[in-house]
Amino acid sequence: MRVKLLYHTDLGAIKKVLERKGVLFNPEAMMDHVVYMFEIEDCSRVTTHQLVRHRAVSYDQESQRFSAATKEGVVTPPSIQSNEAGSKAYDDALKTVYSAYEQMVAAGVPKEDARYILPSAIKTKLVMTLNARNLMHLVWQRTALQAQWEIRELATAMHKLAHEATPELWTKMIER
Amino acid sequence: MWTSPNPERTIAVAMRRCYSTKAIEDIESELELKGPEYWRYLLGKALQDKSLDVLEHFVLTLLVEDMGEADVGLLIMGFPYLRVTHLNGSDWMLTLNARTLVELWRDPRGRSVAGIIVSELENGGVCPIFNELAFGAKINAS
Repeated sequence: MRVKLLYHTDLGAIKKVLERKGVLFNPEAMMDHVVYMFEIEDCSRVTTHQLVRHRAVSYDQESQRFSAATKEGVVTPPSIQSNEAGSKAYDDALKTVYSAYEQMVAAGVPKEDARYILPSAIKTKLVMTLNARNLMHLVWQRTALQAQWEIRELATAMHKLAHEATPELWTKMIER
Repeated sequence: MWTSPNPERTIAVAMRRCYSTKAIEDIESELELKGPEYWRYLLGKALQDKSLDVLEHFVLTLLVEDMGEADVGLLIMGFPYLRVTHLNGSDWMLTLNARTLVELWRDPRGRSVAGIIVSELENGGVCPIFNELAFGAKINAS
């Protein structure tokens, strides 16, 4: 998985105006105004299903209607990787599924319909834009030990990037 | 106070992300190479198809001066995606995305505020292609 911060609000520009108006910079009051746009590559659709439950966020995700799926583009959870029998069952199932997908596309079934057979393990790419308040909520929920490993990895990466970009907003957050 | 950098290209990045399997750097290089006319084409298509979700990645933060609390309240109640913080007196900090701006523009309750914002964007030369395609001819700031 790869997470990239495409842009974030320039706090310097905000502070300049606040200073001119004689208003003190208050990180808590800025939470709704500071935004981040991230690009996420190669996480599974399992994780993006969890991600989109955070609804006050703008998402645009790679469409399976138009892009062809390949069996190389799947995420394998560590618990399956480290389990010989589980790993074999997983690989066999993927081979069957992708073979059926390829046969359907070759037979003229539109990709948008053939995709119904694809697994949730399939890798995807998306951009998302959200404000600091919603990002903080996402990080708080999805870095918890109860969260699943992949979204925890994603939330941790987003937290790190946001913290580096706007440390003044994040230093107050309780670190796990 | 601040807007997303290179707004039209940002919207184009979001659009291409939906239909391309390429890495983001390749999408960005491709968009840079094809230039503003291509961004115009993509933006025009998004507006025409009413695929306004891609506009949500273009965000604006504005200083609003001389606006009464009652007017701010009406605005927030009508447009829940606006984010408003009181600064002092009748000054406010307002954050919205370009989709909400289009919705403000199309709604009689938000038209006058949207008009002022669009004029401000126009005067600052922030997003000329977006302004032209989403709001038509130039707005008279006065």
